Amino acid sequence: MSSPVNEPVINTFRLTKVYRSGFRLKSVRALDSLDLQIEKGEIFGFLGPNGAGKTTLIKILMGLSKPTSGEASVFGESPRGARVKSRVGFLPESPYFYDYLTAAEFLKLSAGLSGMRGQEVAHSVRRLLKLVRMEHAANDQMRGFSRGMLQRMGIAQALINDPELVILDEPMGGLDPVGRKEFRDIIVALRERGKTVFFSTHILTDVEMICDRVGIVISGKMVDVGRLSEILTEEVESIEVAIAGVSGKFRKVLERVARHSIRSGDSLLLSVRNESDLDKVMAILREAGGDARIKSLVPQRKTLEDYFMAHVGGPASRDAAGRRNHDGY
Amino acid sequence: MIGRISAVASNTFREAIRDKVLLTLLVFGVLVMGSAKVIQPLALGEESKVVKDLGLASITLFCVLIAVLVGGRLVYKEVEKRTIYIVLAKPVRRWEFVLGKYAGLMAVLLASLVIMTVGFYLILFATGIDAPAYMLWSLLMTYFELVVVTAVAVLFSTFVTPIASAVFTFATYVVGHLTRDLRLLAAMSPSPIVKGGSQFLYYVLPNLSNFNIRGEVVHNALLNPQALALSAMYAVVYAATLLLISVFIFSRKDF
Repeated sequence: MSSPVNEPVINTFRLTKVYRSGFRLKSVRALDSLDLQIEKGEIFGFLGPNGAGKTTLIKILMGLSKPTSGEASVFGESPRGARVKSRVGFLPESPYFYDYLTAAEFLKLSAGLSGMRGQEVAHSVRRLLKLVRMEHAANDQMRGFSRGMLQRMGIAQALINDPELVILDEPMGGLDPVGRKEFRDIIVALRERGKTVFFSTHILTDVEMICDRVGIVISGKMVDVGRLSEILTEEVESIEVAIAGVSGKFRKVLERVARHSIRSGDSLLLSVRNESDLDKVMAILREAGGDARIKSLVPQRKTLEDYFMAHVGGPASRDAAGRRNHDGY
Repeated sequence: MIGRISAVASNTFREAIRDKVLLTLLVFGVLVMGSAKVIQPLALGEESKVVKDLGLASITLFCVLIAVLVGGRLVYKEVEKRTIYIVLAKPVRRWEFVLGKYAGLMAVLLASLVIMTVGFYLILFATGIDAPAYMLWSLLMTYFELVVVTAVAVLFSTFVTPIASAVFTFATYVVGHLTRDLRLLAAMSPSPIVKGGSQFLYYVLPNLSNFNIRGEVVHNALLNPQALALSAMYAVVYAATLLLISVFIFSRKDF
């Protein structure tokens, strides 16, 4: 049962989800004509602020929720089918588990739900406890687990059926730096084994380190998809110059050249627009002579954070969409 | 299919037996049966019948309470705690989930019924009252009654909160024992609205008084095997219908 070679693993076409909530059935467009293709074997980071529609898309891809209009397919089939799910692993956002179960019992349950039997179950449980470094807590009830331990159990249950596609909703939430590193290693190891990984996050460093491609979603719309280097131009936005030992007269001249400046004792931190402004600064410093010298020079490139700040609208619209995401019943 | 249903069922069973609600109800049920001894002096020579009747009635009542209280939270809790995302992300069909939950609770009820029955017989032996195995027929019918009541609880659990579900299910249980009166009301009422309403309820609500054969077994009366078999079949058909409706509702749910 293999898909045609070039068929995307995940494919959505004008996917739209409208929630109606509240007394007047006010409608909120959580996803708005979203098109997305994920190819086999890539790590795709799905980025967006809280309430942008990330969880809504993931719920549709997992068959938990139905689109209002448009289409979504996974491995070329409807995501609601059991056949698709046997090829997918899923970690929900800040997952809750059955806290009366022990770690081993929970993974046994996950294996049973995936249709495994007998020896296969015991073998998978052992393998995954080892992978997420939870062997020491195998027989402890999950009610006593920390956020980080629960997150590890979450990834373990998602990988129990050795899925071809792994969908992770905010997988780095609640993990400390060591945990995040281990998690990134797990994700990269999955790619090495030819698996496809789709994960959502609002933490930019995760994406910069491991993703092949990213998609940026804001207010339910995909505003950009591509390699990170394509989305964030390499162009230098400004140059930060730290100068020490400048006297009053020259300081004023320097401040006029700079876009921003910060004084601290006889030091000065300037932000200049481009190299020609930087040349002007150098010329002034040569003229000033004496103790005046450059301590450091740092070119500033556009970061994902800048990108976000520039694209994200007012907070009110985002919160409205965010609240809807968690209204289960 | 069977593997996945039994995975859901055994998890439901495990959840229930590690839950304090079940233990509390079981302990309380046995205590109530034991207390029958206290009221014996009031029974004027009919002690053994009163103790037996009260014992059988409390087993039924406490099992119904377990079905109502544990069953009402069955599906809702999974949605509320979002464990449902994990289950439904696995290749588990939604009907398998509903059926697994039901089967798990029926296993819990069987275990509870057995525990309370053992407690009941021990109390009878301890107080020197004769304890014929014949009374087990009444407990078997109680189990068929639970087949129906649990299906009602599961149905409500798919679309209302646990408290509302518990209230509705218990109300169904109480009215289910009064359906004969409903028919009487329909026959006697001059108002067409009351007539229509009670007739509707009579046909829709389960007729649970059929499962009550305590009077017969306590008084050593002869049982009608055909009537019992019919009641058992009725329970299975009624529960299957409710489960079908539950699956229908649950399959359309958006999480």
